[in-house]
Amino acid sequence: MQAKQSAANNVADIIGGKGDAVESEYIRFDQLSALVIDDMGAMRHALRSQLQWMGMNQVKCLANAKEALDELEDIHYDLILCDYNLNETSSGQHFLEYLRHEQLLSAKTIFVMVTAEAEYAFVANAVEYAPDDYILKPCPEKRLRARLIRLFDRRNFLASALTAMDEKNYLLVVSECDRLMSLVTDERWVMAALKLKAEALLALNDTTDLLKTYEKALSLHDNVPWVKIGIARVRLLLNEPAAAEQMAQELIAHNPNYVAAYELLAEIKKLQKDEEGAYKLMEQSARILPTAKRFRTTSESAFLLGKLDEARKLSESAIKLSSGSMAEHPDDYLSLAQIQTDMGDHQGAIHTLRNSARKYEDKGSFGIAKNAILAQAYYDAGDTASAKRLLEKSQRLLTPQSDSAAMNLLGKAAFKMGDPVLGLKMLTQAVQSSGEERERIERHVTKSMIDTGQDDKIDDVIDAGQKRILVLVNEAKKLMHVAQFEAAYQKVLEALEIQSENIEAFLAVTQLHLLWLKQGGMNPEVQQRARNYLATLDQLLPRNEKVMGFYRFYNQLTGE
Amino acid sequence: MQQALATLVIHDIKNSLALLESDLEQLNHRSDAPEEARKAYQRCIELKNRLISFLTLYKHEQGRLIPNIGEVELTEFLEDMIDNCQSAPPAAKHGRAIDIQLKENQIRIAPGVRRKGVGSFDEYLVDLALESALNNAVRYAASRVDVWFEQDADRLTFFVLDDGPGLATSDNIKANTPAVNPDSTGLGLSLCKAVTEAHGGGCVSLANAHGGGALFTMELNTVG
Repeated sequence: MQAKQSAANNVADIIGGKGDAVESEYIRFDQLSALVIDDMGAMRHALRSQLQWMGMNQVKCLANAKEALDELEDIHYDLILCDYNLNETSSGQHFLEYLRHEQLLSAKTIFVMVTAEAEYAFVANAVEYAPDDYILKPCPEKRLRARLIRLFDRRNFLASALTAMDEKNYLLVVSECDRLMSLVTDERWVMAALKLKAEALLALNDTTDLLKTYEKALSLHDNVPWVKIGIARVRLLLNEPAAAEQMAQELIAHNPNYVAAYELLAEIKKLQKDEEGAYKLMEQSARILPTAKRFRTTSESAFLLGKLDEARKLSESAIKLSSGSMAEHPDDYLSLAQIQTDMGDHQGAIHTLRNSARKYEDKGSFGIAKNAILAQAYYDAGDTASAKRLLEKSQRLLTPQSDSAAMNLLGKAAFKMGDPVLGLKMLTQAVQSSGEERERIERHVTKSMIDTGQDDKIDDVIDAGQKRILVLVNEAKKLMHVAQFEAAYQKVLEALEIQSENIEAFLAVTQLHLLWLKQGGMNPEVQQRARNYLATLDQLLPRNEKVMGFYRFYNQLTGE
Repeated sequence: MQQALATLVIHDIKNSLALLESDLEQLNHRSDAPEEARKAYQRCIELKNRLISFLTLYKHEQGRLIPNIGEVELTEFLEDMIDNCQSAPPAAKHGRAIDIQLKENQIRIAPGVRRKGVGSFDEYLVDLALESALNNAVRYAASRVDVWFEQDADRLTFFVLDDGPGLATSDNIKANTPAVNPDSTGLGLSLCKAVTEAHGGGCVSLANAHGGGALFTMELNTVG
């Protein structure tokens, strides 16, 4: 209390968090906007009043996540107070994960989760996408105000870096964080800056500096989950799976509910081709923190392993959990129907697609996939005439932009119904146009071929040359992460000799050149090549988010 | 089935109390709020705290009280707690104004402590426990209550000292007495003990202070 009376005018004291005396004047509540999301009217009213007592005039209250989502698409709020228990299908945590995943939150928005006591411990321990803070309801105004002052203090301290983050100017984020850290001694502020810096370096894919940043954070704090999971991920990128695994296990030993650690371990198992082990870990993470997304990926993993019973249950859970919410996805119905078909439940598959999924229009990739699965179901049920019509309908919807996953389903239907020419064509195209999803699509295509008795042709579809490209690109990425740019470049060139327009190879070579420039300085030759590769990528993948990110990175590096 | 019903009822009561608390808070924000409104608000908070304390104790008995350990800045933590206690002073109902202070010159941090002034514990649980000790001190204090902490490499200790009459000698308590009467200090001390045990153990005591008044101490053995 005494500290509050000693007026501190020193800026370093203020930004260092020592100047409590000026905090309340420093935070202009009357200029801040807030969004309150709670399904209970009385709670919304209470929170609104509390915020208004602090001087906030712009407070909007909404009853559910769907309305909030519409609101957030147009307007950025300074503060979001969100109830954890939104309704039975979606929690505040789902909502936050969705917002972060879809990048709908400004870096400057402060997200506070409001929870009842019972839920709190569980939520706080399990998640990677943590809110900025939790408050237990009911929270007296005084306490809420104290919390908000601290949160806004930290935000104001990081303001310049957060603005750069919103502008996706990651290089500027990094330099701003470094500058801010040099101004303060308070560890919590340094940690906040390190966390933001790590996010920017991750976006830049700068593994070398990223590891340094995490290690600095680790030296300040040896038990912070985001630091440990960060280090584990970098270790994996650096091709040190054993070190990554050890870190993830350590994390689980301290936080048995930390799902991101299970998911990282699953990723490691996948790389080691231990699909069964990966599936078990994914199942575990879905059990700890059930979300539609986790059920979805776990179901896919079960399906690829031929565990159809489990796959069906997981797929049904994904639909149940997401139905009517923002996480709802038409692909869930396709997956379930394909599983049902493979299990011999053609009536179930037909019901899933004709009834449950009838709200989705019969067009685009969804239409191709839907009709291809229906064709299989009718064929199995003995109605070959309908099956043939459906297969033709599926084919008619094909365009050069169709999804690889949809082509895979069409190919499978064709093989099943005795059209090996179409089957082979579709599955080969599915693999060739799979781009960044290549590994996943290859596994699906392989399964389709085994299911339809085409084992002997697998190598023709997923040809040896392609495999070699994949190996080379992966080797190049590993070399790039340890800053061996010249060696990495040679590997990608070799891959490009096999196929001159391979997208994976082009993405790798471009990224490699950008990091080369960042870490090795502005070599004009490297810069020229980077510009050329960017131009090629732009033609191969027009309006692609990743390519646009590369452009921004390039412009920031060169100042062009 | 019985368990499920009990959970439902308790959840419902907790929710209703929460709403009542926010209604009363709003009422008290009106300039013409009567004295009774302030008392009702205070009583509601006490009732809520008591319910939460019971639930926490029950959870502990079931072996389900698992702390959510986080890093807590100790001075800020205690300042917030004091602010909160002062904004709705239970002392007022005894007709005295009690001054609660964070006694900064009593704070001691041992040289071996790695993160000075930062503790690792569940701030909600520890806050719940200390608040009950603080309210108890305020109830018996004559005019002031002092709060501080001491930090050692393997231990964090909180102190609450009042200038009241102290305890009759036979009352010196090492808290392992079960909660019998919720109005006595028994519940508060049992709660503190439960919270301490959930954090890996430590001593909780209430005794006469050397210079008069009662001194409450709560130790948390910090792991690692």
